[in-house]
Amino acid sequence: MTNAPMIDVREATKKYDDGPPALAGVNLSVASGDCVAILGHSGSGKSTLLNLIAGLDKPSSGSVTVDGTRVDQLGEAGSAKYRRASIGMIFQFFNLLDDLTVLDNVMVPAQLAGMGKGEAKRRAVELLGSLGIERHVKAYPQRLSGGERQRVAVARALMNKPALLLADEPTGALDSSSVEDVRRLLLDLNAEGQTIVLVTHDVQLAATTAHRTIELVDGAVARDVVNSGSGAGLAAAQARR
Amino acid sequence: MSALGKVVRSGVGRRRVQTLVMALTTFTAVLSSVLSLGLLTAVQAPFEHAFTTRDGAHLAVQFDGSKVTAVQTTATAHVAGVTEAAGPYPIAAALDTTVGTDCPKTDWAGHDNHPITVTTRPDLGSTSGMDQLVLTQGRWPTSPGEIALPANNYADACFGSSVVFSSLPGKPSFKVVGFADSVTNSATGFATADGFARLTTAGATTDEQMLYRFARAGTDADIATDKQAVAAAVPAGAVEDGQSYLTAEQQATGNAKAFVPFLIAFGILGLVLSVLIIAIVVSGAVASGIRRIGILKSLGFTPSQVARAYTAQAMIPATLGVVLGTVFGNLAAGPILNGASEQLGAASATIPFWVSAVVSLGTLLIVGVTASIPALRAGRMPAVQALVVSRAPKAGRGQTAQRLASRLPLPRAMSLGLAQPFARPARAVLVGAAVLLGTVSVTFAVGLGTAFSKYQATTMSSGFNVASDIVIPTADVGAPWGLYGPNDPRHAYLDATKVAAALAKVPGTKAAFGWGDSGATLVGAPIGGEPPVLYTVSGDFSWTNMQLLSGRWYSAPGEAVVGDKLASAVGIRVGDDVTVVQQNKQVSLKVVGINFDTHGSDYTAMTDAATFTAAGLTPRIDQFNVELASNANGTDWSTAATAALTPLNASVQSNSSDTNLLVIIMGTLVAMFTLMLTVVAALGVLSMVVQDTRERVHDLGIFKALGMTPRQTVAMVLTSVALTGLIAGLVGVPLGVVVEKATQAPMGHAIGRHLPPSVTHVYTAGLLLPLLAAGVVIALLGALLPAGWAARSRTATALRAE
Ligand SMILES: Nc1ncnc2c1ncn2[C@@H]1O[C@H](COP(=O)(O)OP(=O)(O)OP(=O)(O)O)[C@@H](O)[C@H]1O
Ligand SMILES: [Mg+2]
Repeated sequence: MTNAPMIDVREATKKYDDGPPALAGVNLSVASGDCVAILGHSGSGKSTLLNLIAGLDKPSSGSVTVDGTRVDQLGEAGSAKYRRASIGMIFQFFNLLDDLTVLDNVMVPAQLAGMGKGEAKRRAVELLGSLGIERHVKAYPQRLSGGERQRVAVARALMNKPALLLADEPTGALDSSSVEDVRRLLLDLNAEGQTIVLVTHDVQLAATTAHRTIELVDGAVARDVVNSGSGAGLAAAQARR
Repeated sequence: MSALGKVVRSGVGRRRVQTLVMALTTFTAVLSSVLSLGLLTAVQAPFEHAFTTRDGAHLAVQFDGSKVTAVQTTATAHVAGVTEAAGPYPIAAALDTTVGTDCPKTDWAGHDNHPITVTTRPDLGSTSGMDQLVLTQGRWPTSPGEIALPANNYADACFGSSVVFSSLPGKPSFKVVGFADSVTNSATGFATADGFARLTTAGATTDEQMLYRFARAGTDADIATDKQAVAAAVPAGAVEDGQSYLTAEQQATGNAKAFVPFLIAFGILGLVLSVLIIAIVVSGAVASGIRRIGILKSLGFTPSQVARAYTAQAMIPATLGVVLGTVFGNLAAGPILNGASEQLGAASATIPFWVSAVVSLGTLLIVGVTASIPALRAGRMPAVQALVVSRAPKAGRGQTAQRLASRLPLPRAMSLGLAQPFARPARAVLVGAAVLLGTVSVTFAVGLGTAFSKYQATTMSSGFNVASDIVIPTADVGAPWGLYGPNDPRHAYLDATKVAAALAKVPGTKAAFGWGDSGATLVGAPIGGEPPVLYTVSGDFSWTNMQLLSGRWYSAPGEAVVGDKLASAVGIRVGDDVTVVQQNKQVSLKVVGINFDTHGSDYTAMTDAATFTAAGLTPRIDQFNVELASNANGTDWSTAATAALTPLNASVQSNSSDTNLLVIIMGTLVAMFTLMLTVVAALGVLSMVVQDTRERVHDLGIFKALGMTPRQTVAMVLTSVALTGLIAGLVGVPLGVVVEKATQAPMGHAIGRHLPPSVTHVYTAGLLLPLLAAGVVIALLGALLPAGWAARSRTATALRAE
């Protein structure tokens, strides 16, 4: 664990052609091994912030540094390689590829990174096993339940052992028992040291999963609080102070 | 602007590439159709019109007056198959003439003129019955000293002066009082009965000519059968020869008809491609605009308004293409007609209006129907369905393909792309069809272009035209070519024996042969068109690539080889005898071979100079072509040869090979059409890939989030069309070969020639193998741009939508 933060966003602003800025001077620092929840109303800029961190989008001004890399200065190919190596993403609607089996879905990031098929398969099966969905390896995503699909998405996100897991409303499309499922999964991953940024509407989920909650209002950080309630990471967070 | 107009305009504006493709493809189709149909009618129609209105003869037969009676010839009118007959008329064939010295133009006075075939009829100016003669200038002869000739058989500037029958004893002379012709060139000189008698008295051989029309006369074979039937009705050997109207038609239409077969092929390819592209674009617009259609309908658009809006999106660019294609087709026709057909007057060098009208309206109709099928579907689609139908393709079809592709030892991006076409087979078929048509066009055009250049090389730089050092009479150096005709006493000739001996002694000479126009006429050669030429040749020409189509080269005096064009026009075969006349003396030659004629005249034959010597005639040689030994120094050879030849009044020159303008125009047209069709095919692929990319934007976003680099994205998109392109290419090449073969024969026929295998055999392995890759190349070219767009697309937002 180094002293430099894993994520360091400075004065990040994002303007689209029309309307007010989606992000207006956001500062954010996330330590390695932390689990941060980002809360906010619809349109407050949560996804925009996540996309900046993932290198999928570029800030209009300001800087985004992840693990020492100036993400906002990467070219197209560079940001793809950065995502491959350092970022795993999961989404509200899973974004699995319908034409590919569960196993193939999970293998894709490793294969794009040039990992051999045999090795990729071994790691994918192992991951799916550890997530408890190994019996679905040959199935197609559409046959799975929402919770199972999100597990597959998590497996895919973890395939390249990313330094950072970004989750954009991972429970938004799930029923309550699946929500709990995913919550536990994220807690476990964080407990193993995985740095996580979790975007959600769900105050409860934020409070029970993350050490720290940031609230965005109209593209600016309105609140940044350390969770005092439950949460497995709480002790760790306090220990770091 | 009406609401409908706005919808159409925004539709056209949003699909600029597709709009351009539709305009370009209809432009190509219309341009080639207007040109092909236009050339066909412009060159064919004047002859056909004249042939009909003047009741032209299908066949004109000359009978040897000494072997048949007048009763027998008249009776041939009742031979089976004959529907109409006229004659017998007396005729004196192929008499040498010169322009009289009374011509005020000294350029022409006393020069050789065309050989003329003279006839007389009871009423030369008759406006009823068969083969009505037409006067284009002056009047009909009324006295024994007057004659009328076709305008192109006598110098214009000398009209009113005399024509002299120079090879007849006494050289009878006639005053040219009229320009007149027969539509089928049944004769080329028209005299009064008394005038004709002057030729007979002077010693001209005369025959009896009968003119026929037949029930079946559409092809060369029909005419040959008909001629046989006539010959069978008279004593053997009585039929001297016969002229088919098809030969006259070929002479009248010239080489312009050679353009027609390949233009038709391009027209068909272009039209099919247009239909395909328009189907692709409009159904694509409907498919990706389903939500829009729903919205339009919920706003109160009627089904027919919706259908019209989508049809109009295709009709606007198509109309632009049709208009431009018609205009350019008409503009391009002028130079082609002028360059290809000397016989046509400037007045007929335009395309008839109805051609433009039929082609444009026809194309618009086809385009309209093609566009309205998917458009009507859009119109009938219930609004609710249109609003709820999901754009995502059904998963399932693509799954098997993905599973199989993932097993291939390929980079993941490529195996992902490889399986994509299977998710949307209909779209893959359309992409394949566009590539297929592109490949067919390329294969066809490359073959055609190769044949053109081989034809060019063979006709322009082999045989007498071979690039070599040449020896000509010193008097001819710098003089205009053909200043004096072969029978003109002022024409300078070489002493062949001495020149040959001198050349043989010059160090570095490897082979040499001398040749010249003997000035002899061929009995039975076509009466109209260019005068036939018999060449007398001396020495070894085996090094000039002159090609034999059948039989063998002559090897003894009395043997001759006949050019393919003359052989086809007259029906000469190996083993036949032909009669040539020089200085009113007849010599019979045995035809031992047919060669691919590259001498530059239409109707030619060649024989060894020894044939003439043996018959007591003087062979005329006015050029030697010399092949130098490979180690000879050209300058040294020239110096030595000049020293040896100057005492013989001969000079050394070098022969540069010429180019055939017509073949160059054809080559340019082929290149242009190929380029356009290939571009259209690639643009067709492009618009399909654009559509595909648009629909896959969500998947592309996922791949991007998973770390797919721009290069991997490009690889994936390119691979998605590569397999389709490869298959289409493999199918397209053989089809292109078939199209090329199918156009070659009619093109050869149009110029009245039999092409040798060295010209027609174009598809070598070295040509075919690269062509097999053409499909992939077209597909990749079409997919390259959208692949780049896909790689750069902003996909962050696409990930949110489901
Ligand atoms: N590609 C884009 N072009 C223009 N505006 C955009 C684009 N993407 C986002 N926006 C705007 O930026 C603002 C922030 O959007 P963002 O998606 O970050 O919100 P969010 O907090 O994730 O909302 P939600 O909870 O609905 O997902 C919104 O006003 C949105 O309309
Ligand atoms: Mg969002």
